[in-house]
Amino acid sequence: MKVVTGVVGNDIHVVANRLIDLSLQARGYEVFNLGVNTHLEEFFDAAVETGAEVLMISSLNGEAEGWGREVKLLKAKYKNLDDLIMMIGGNLVVGSGNTEDIVARYKKYGFDLVCHQVDLNTGLDLLQDLLEERCKS
Amino acid sequence: MSLLQEEREIILSNEYVDAFDFDEVAEFVSNASKELFISHHFKKREKMLVQPRGGFPTYQQQYALYEFFVDANVDVLPLTIDSNTRLNDYGTAKKMLRLSEENDMDMLNGYPLVTHGYRTTRKMITHFNKPVSLRHGTPDARLLIETAIASGIFEIEGGPITYLLPYSKNFPLDKAFLYWKYVERVCANYSELNEPINRESFGPLTATLVPPSITIVIQLLEMLLSLEEGVKSFSVSFAQQGSMNQDIVTGAVIRKLVKHYAAEIDCADAAINLVYHQWMGAFPTNKDFAEQLINLSTVIASMVGADKIITKTREEATGIPTKEANAKTVADTQYCLRILNGLPSVVDEEEEEMLTLEVKAIMEAVFNDPADTLWRKVFNSIKNGVIDVPFSPHIINQNQMITIRDANKNIRIIERGNVPIPDRCYEFEKAQCDLSKDTTSIVNDIIHDIGIMQW
Repeated sequence: MKVVTGVVGNDIHVVANRLIDLSLQARGYEVFNLGVNTHLEEFFDAAVETGAEVLMISSLNGEAEGWGREVKLLKAKYKNLDDLIMMIGGNLVVGSGNTEDIVARYKKYGFDLVCHQVDLNTGLDLLQDLLEERCKS
Repeated sequence: MSLLQEEREIILSNEYVDAFDFDEVAEFVSNASKELFISHHFKKREKMLVQPRGGFPTYQQQYALYEFFVDANVDVLPLTIDSNTRLNDYGTAKKMLRLSEENDMDMLNGYPLVTHGYRTTRKMITHFNKPVSLRHGTPDARLLIETAIASGIFEIEGGPITYLLPYSKNFPLDKAFLYWKYVERVCANYSELNEPINRESFGPLTATLVPPSITIVIQLLEMLLSLEEGVKSFSVSFAQQGSMNQDIVTGAVIRKLVKHYAAEIDCADAAINLVYHQWMGAFPTNKDFAEQLINLSTVIASMVGADKIITKTREEATGIPTKEANAKTVADTQYCLRILNGLPSVVDEEEEEMLTLEVKAIMEAVFNDPADTLWRKVFNSIKNGVIDVPFSPHIINQNQMITIRDANKNIRIIERGNVPIPDRCYEFEKAQCDLSKDTTSIVNDIIHDIGIMQW
């Protein structure tokens, strides 16, 4: 299973990005890590180029909120990305906010899985559940 | 006219520079007070020099900060540069400085030195008559260091590796080497006029589980790149690692090896100093705990025998520290140093031997690279992972090495990647750790090991 991952925007927080990479590999995924400071176009380009099934975006400084609004518009420009599983996690707002509202907002932006301030392994378990569910159907 | 001078004239003919007067600057450096040169203070070796951190947008704020520091009995003043200037965006720095001056609100996270210019800044530096250290993070620091030296700032921190790998994703590393070559040459040339300009490397790197072998190798290489251009005073540095014993071993090994490698390129006459950074990782939010941590750092710096210590503040976890918090740290650190007497001497021969073998093996691999110049050898070694910095965001870094803490909180290498750690040392490192765990629990351990000082 191929996963493209990276930190969105002008965010240089690299520690979690490295740990996501390590954890995904430990679970048997083939990881294409674009690192920090990655723009949305680069994520989608990489998903097309690698034929990844999952796109996992992370954010720590909260600027994902700004980028999130553009996801649907941009994704529509690409062909063959309809089945791509879109996941986002980390700290998804600047300041603080109600988790339920945040999750609802990001689902509207086009994400299938939203992990706001969720522990890394819990998030990866959720991904596994979703993948198994898709397999069945 | 030399090529270097031609390049200098291009760099300094810039719309943001107000008529740079080369002759006047050279005359100023020649006649500058010895007190302004940190190399002069290092030579006296009277005490460990205490240097805080700090930079504010306006001249008045920076001046007020220095007044606080002097009252707290500071040894070395810092000048920390704002992020726009660091990225050579002088236009934005200028606009943000105006906004800061007009609105009584800080729109910059440091002092925009190029925007203030050397004529203005020099007034402040010569008024306080203390050595000033330039702290930045700039890959292309050519204009910045010209302005700094012309202002009376005679210590320049940074280097092509240590100011790039922790801070940037894709600034080209080869360009950084060439821009820093210019910096070294300008520092070397000015050093002939008075006391030497001191260059300092930034040893903390990512401050995230960097093993001492990698830190020392990078310190040695930046020292060699500087000395080969003619710099006569250089400081290697590292930050508190989390284990007192590992810090003492690191200090002993780096001290021994700087002499060895400087002599190898016939630069044994250069003065090499050791700088220790108080904990550079995540701080506790509890301000009283933060002070305990700062105090512990000072004790370890004394055990290490550092020539200078760079301080943190009790407000580290909460944002840009106030001048009051900054000055308090200076006074506290000076007090702690004054009462630290009769320190025992700790030597761990086995650890020293292992670390020395690791550093020498990596250095040998760098020197054996077929490229024709040292900077190209180093460039290739970073590219192919002979040098690998844990948690560097830069695309050129291999990110193959994995490190973790052992039971005594020493940083250990459990996956060496392409770094030529000798087998014997690698087995020794791994033998200190519990490797029977699965990757998920190791990742959890790493998260805990990074935040070791927060709880």
